[in-house]
Amino acid sequence: MGLCGCFTRVDLIRSIAIVGLNVAAGRRRLWIPKPLGKWAAEAMTDNFSPDSEPTTRTLLRRVLDTADPRTPRRARSTRSGAQRDLLETPSTRRQRSQTKMTARRRSHTAASVDRLAHVQASGHLEEQTPRTLLKNIILTAPESSIVKPEAVVKLVPSPQVVQPSRRESSRGSLELQLPELEPPTTLAPGLLAPGRRKQRLRLSEFQQGMDWGHLSQEPRENADASSLTSSLNLTFAMPLQPQSVKRPGLARRPPTRRVVDVGTFLQDLRDTSLAVAPPGESHRTPVATVPTDTVLEDTQPFSQPLAGHSPSVHHSLPCPSPSGAKEVEGPASRRTWSSGPGLQNNHSGPGKPAQLLARKVEEVEALAVGFPNISSISGEDGVEPLQNGVGEEAEESMEESMSVREVEKAAEEQGSARAEEPEGHTEVAEAAGSLGAIEAKEPEGSSEDEDPSASPKLAPSTPEFLRTRRLQSPEPAPPPSTAVLPSELPKRLSARIPPRPRIPGSRPRQDPYKAGLNHYAKLFSFYAKMPMEKKAVEMVEKCLDKYFQHLCDDLEVFAAHAGRKTVSPEDLELLLRRQGLVTDQVSLHVLVERHLPLEYRQLLIPCAFSGNSVFPTQ
Amino acid sequence: MALSTTVSQRKMIRRKAPLGFLKRVFKRQKPHLRLKTSSDLLVHLNCLLFVHRLAEESRINACGSKCGIIKKEHVLAAAKVILKKSRG
Repeated sequence: MGLCGCFTRVDLIRSIAIVGLNVAAGRRRLWIPKPLGKWAAEAMTDNFSPDSEPTTRTLLRRVLDTADPRTPRRARSTRSGAQRDLLETPSTRRQRSQTKMTARRRSHTAASVDRLAHVQASGHLEEQTPRTLLKNIILTAPESSIVKPEAVVKLVPSPQVVQPSRRESSRGSLELQLPELEPPTTLAPGLLAPGRRKQRLRLSEFQQGMDWGHLSQEPRENADASSLTSSLNLTFAMPLQPQSVKRPGLARRPPTRRVVDVGTFLQDLRDTSLAVAPPGESHRTPVATVPTDTVLEDTQPFSQPLAGHSPSVHHSLPCPSPSGAKEVEGPASRRTWSSGPGLQNNHSGPGKPAQLLARKVEEVEALAVGFPNISSISGEDGVEPLQNGVGEEAEESMEESMSVREVEKAAEEQGSARAEEPEGHTEVAEAAGSLGAIEAKEPEGSSEDEDPSASPKLAPSTPEFLRTRRLQSPEPAPPPSTAVLPSELPKRLSARIPPRPRIPGSRPRQDPYKAGLNHYAKLFSFYAKMPMEKKAVEMVEKCLDKYFQHLCDDLEVFAAHAGRKTVSPEDLELLLRRQGLVTDQVSLHVLVERHLPLEYRQLLIPCAFSGNSVFPTQ
Repeated sequence: MALSTTVSQRKMIRRKAPLGFLKRVFKRQKPHLRLKTSSDLLVHLNCLLFVHRLAEESRINACGSKCGIIKKEHVLAAAKVILKKSRG
């Protein structure tokens, strides 16, 4: 080949195919592989047809005209090359069909006549050269577009590639077709042709029965595609046809819908909701039981009093407190209760009575029951808000009156001074709660000194108090009784309990601090699993104090080292690592999982949730 | 996303960490510093582990001196060791 010496026919065809692609895609810019660029330009300019657009057909014709009939490289499997060409040309032809046909047809018809003669002269395909194959394609290929409904269907002898069923769908799909077709299936074209013909015939026969005009071409083309093409291409056309063409009668039955019975539906809803609720609870309880084993273990030191108190408090009847202001103390008292039973926890006066109650279980139980009954006694208000806060079941006065009698009985039964102690304390507390700030100090003082000295002093006061209470219990009117009681109590208090030298300013600093330390001290006693002295507990608190100081210093250093003013979890991890708690064997997450409850674990350990989200975010 | 959807019933944590207390202590010691949200819990974890180690050591000391009760001396000796360890 004089013109194209450095490249094979195959490359030429491919380039032309690409050109045709570009043309089909509407791109005016024709991209041609570089080695062929010059030649292509020449060819195009030289033999520029009257058509404005150099179509693939025209280009192909030019190739055939100009190119040497002798193929330069025979060694290269002509079959593969032919296959490629054959594979590509139908695609090019497809593109061609998509573009304007008229001019091409005109020009083609003139040439086709001549070519036909050549083909007929050549007769059979003795030489499966690209050239000959191309000639056959050009001559025998149908002019009309596949898109057109009334297409001239001609049997194409040469193997064709499968046509995608959706021609209009996408040139992109067509373009995809090309690379798909690229991997050559090295089958003998001779073998292919008959096979395809068979299939073609079969399908065409089938098609004859159908009136699907626009699909008439598809089966044929599909038949041509057959073994050569990948199943991918086939699937385009086949799914549609078999369903529609082969089984027109087997249309899908419309889904039968049962008429929804609203009544049964609602019933089911209720059943399911009921079913869900108990299992939910049952789920909760087993879950709860698992941690409770550890929880009970864990909170043994300080849960006991709580456990003792909660039922007592629940049993106690929070009667409507006469003064709403007292209820404000309720949360405060609750807070002190929860912060930990401790004599030193003196958030507020009313808080004291709560603590006192917390310390004495059995006695308080009996007394607490009686308290709300005696609404007239103002001292109860200290206890009432507490009870209101804890257990807000409103019970009737009947029960209250019952409990009054119980209280009396219990009070009588309690002969021991100890039993009377809490009574005295609670009474004192009651009074304190009612009186206010002044009384708050006194009961504080009383509670402070309760251990050593207050008890004997208060003991004699209790019978008096009880007597007064019994007298006043039938009386519903609060004011006179409140007036009476406070007058009695402060005298007694001032007489017996020396006023506590307490600076109000330092209290908030000490108490909650002690409360927190107490929390950890109790944990210490739990972890130790052995009885401890009180001094040892104090020692532990001192150690904790020192420990917190060290901790803050270290965290400050770490944060400063990182150039931050906020202590972050990274600093903490570093601290744990330096302390030797986090090692290469034991990671931070392991420790978190071991020692913290689920809610905190969830906050610390990142976990993936639905919707591709991770919490906590990293 | 996850925790915000939990029901309030679930919020009853048995072993609640005294986060308020910890935050207050830290603020009192280092008023110029701040604590991040998660670091609160990790401080609590650190305290738990410290107390755990202290208790273990005290128990060992008590058992070493053939005592059935943990006494002040045991705790003191244990504290010396553990505080040294926790110095970081």
